[in-house]
Amino acid sequence: MSFLSLISIEFHKIRRSKILLILLTAAVFLWLPAIFHGDVSFRTSADFGILPENNFMIQGFLGMSWFMFPAAMVVCTVLLQQTERNNHGILKMLALPVSTVGLCLAKFVVLLCLAALQIALTVGMYYISAAIVSHTQNYPFVLPLPFVLREAGLIFLYSIPMLTFFWLVSVCIQTPIFSIGIELASIVPSVLIINTKLWFAYPMAYPLFAVSNEYGRLASAMTPSDVNLTPLLIVALSSSVLCLFLSCLRFGKYERR
Amino acid sequence: MNIIQTTNLTKSYADYTAVSELNLHIPQGSVYGFLGPNGAGKSTTMKMLLGLTRPTSGSFTIDGKQYPKDRVEILREVGSFIEAPAFYGNLTGRENLDIIRKILKLPKSAVSDALELVAMIPYKDRLAKRYSLGMKQRLGLAGALIGRPPILILDEPTNGLDPVGIHEIRTLIRSLPQKLGCTVLVSSHLLSEIELMADIVGILNRGHLLFEGTPEELKQTVKAQGCPTDNLEDTFLALIDADNSHRGAIQGGAR
Amino acid sequence: MNLGLEFKKTKRTGLIPAFAAGGILAASIPILNMAVRAEMYTGLVAAPVQILLDANWSIMSMLNLLLITVGATLLYHAEYENNALQKMCSLPARESGLFFGKFLLMILLCAMTLTLEALGIAFCTAHWFSQSAGLSAGLCTEILQNFGYELLLLLPAAALSLLLASACKNMWVSLGIGVICVFIATILPIGRFVPSLFPFAMPYRLLAGTAADIALAIAALLELSAISLGEIILIKIRRSLT
Repeated sequence: MSFLSLISIEFHKIRRSKILLILLTAAVFLWLPAIFHGDVSFRTSADFGILPENNFMIQGFLGMSWFMFPAAMVVCTVLLQQTERNNHGILKMLALPVSTVGLCLAKFVVLLCLAALQIALTVGMYYISAAIVSHTQNYPFVLPLPFVLREAGLIFLYSIPMLTFFWLVSVCIQTPIFSIGIELASIVPSVLIINTKLWFAYPMAYPLFAVSNEYGRLASAMTPSDVNLTPLLIVALSSSVLCLFLSCLRFGKYERR
Repeated sequence: MNIIQTTNLTKSYADYTAVSELNLHIPQGSVYGFLGPNGAGKSTTMKMLLGLTRPTSGSFTIDGKQYPKDRVEILREVGSFIEAPAFYGNLTGRENLDIIRKILKLPKSAVSDALELVAMIPYKDRLAKRYSLGMKQRLGLAGALIGRPPILILDEPTNGLDPVGIHEIRTLIRSLPQKLGCTVLVSSHLLSEIELMADIVGILNRGHLLFEGTPEELKQTVKAQGCPTDNLEDTFLALIDADNSHRGAIQGGAR
Repeated sequence: MNLGLEFKKTKRTGLIPAFAAGGILAASIPILNMAVRAEMYTGLVAAPVQILLDANWSIMSMLNLLLITVGATLLYHAEYENNALQKMCSLPARESGLFFGKFLLMILLCAMTLTLEALGIAFCTAHWFSQSAGLSAGLCTEILQNFGYELLLLLPAAALSLLLASACKNMWVSLGIGVICVFIATILPIGRFVPSLFPFAMPYRLLAGTAADIALAIAALLELSAISLGEIILIKIRRSLT
């Protein structure tokens, strides 16, 4: 069976799971305060030397990458695991002639797609709220699409190592309270870690670092940290590969004891 | 005296009617065999009796008590076993029963009594999620029998058991009215099984009650209709078949 | 009675160790913070407990809220997973008893977590603010007052997440809604009174020694009763729909 059809099967399994609704709700609530407090961007722009329209977009993305996006991804890993475990679906899958590694990777690809979807929804909601605020504040807040997509793409790329870690935890730890607890708790320290020199050692902090660094780039009153790509790439790549390798190794092991 | 009686009990969903104007009469101290093919509405009826699903119309009384007014009082007298086994997977068989025991306010000895009735003593300290299907089924039965309630509602209690287990459970159910003085409503899709246990048979098909009476009366009825009576399974199939083609004709006519 | 049963059901689910671990993690935040940059705080002019809470409470209470959300979700997941809820509904007990039993259990778990966090704060005060004369009776009262108040403010969020969990058969739905609630609380301006009435925002507030403290406590109790009523209505509606 081809990997593509495996992925399409995995998408079938999450039909009617209401995950789309959850991701959409998250995106809506992300932008609501920005709509109600459209004037804040003008004040911040004066303080930090950033254009109000840039500030509007970056603030929203900051809120997203600090908590909402990682937490929504934790919910997605729960979804992917529970759909298998609820009625012992995994036992049936393991009894079919498909490779376990393929199954594990197909599920991870679904997780990546859900991450992309969450980011896309956020971008969509950004345009809606920017249009509303442009209207209420009489100031053009809407930014060109390529510029916004560049930021969105950056968040997605930076989030991949984090997603591999979440996936590893959800595969390896069978007791739901521990796996979910560890994943959620690992998000919280990232706000402290991005200010340290060793931020690149902590994959959960990458998306937040990426956005806050973009903020520094766009605000004249702040200096963006110099991203030294070599250690980042080494840590990000090796940790992602290791996490994926271990999760493929462990996938289905519990059921096959 | 009828300990369970339903009056035009009906349950319909948006697109179909699961149970249609059902009138059951279950005498005290009897084993009532509730028979019908899969999807006939047996489980839905039993769920309504337990207050797990609300009737669309009609009513029922259990031991003179009415639903929904006396729901908790009814449940206090009824031990039940519905469909798929229901349990906490992280607890052992004994711990699962202990929870039910505490809610029913029974003495500690009730747990081992129930475990003994279903021959589960050797497995009582194993986690329920590690039970075989048959053990889960027995655990569910123990949860129904615990405290020896005056009324038992058992939905296909022999599903998933091996022949020896089926025989044991059948014998147990058969002996319950004499042993504990209780009334049993037991469902099955096998007439041969019901025949071995029940004093009275009710046959349900597509939500309608086709027949209610003793197995002897059933034989006479079908004889009068010209169906085969030498083999009970054939009798049952013929009855269901006749009803299906009859209803098919009605539906076809309506179209 | 109900509490004992609910306690029993949590066996081997890891719930109690998870709450203990969460408490220890949250308690280690002020300790780590002080270990790294004590000089930033020891020079401030205020009561040590106040300094420590001001500096660390937002992250600590966020951990508490996440813990509550996950805990509530899993308490009900145990009921749904192997159909146990159906068995519970066919027993002669009120379905709402299940909710209140779980809620009592949740109060105890929160109290345990907060106690661990209080110990963390007490340790920091005694260790880094030695001029405050170690662990005096006054300090203990102050910590007890603060954390007792936090327990009260945590209860509406605990009840609400249990309500959400009882309403959703699939755990990712209740977890998802809970996570969104935690997020909403992080974007609300907590300093103002009205936004802090949102159950998930309440635990971020600290005892300030003003009239707002009492108003918020009363609001917490009112919200608790409203959420309990909500659960009872939910059970009624579900019963009439099935």
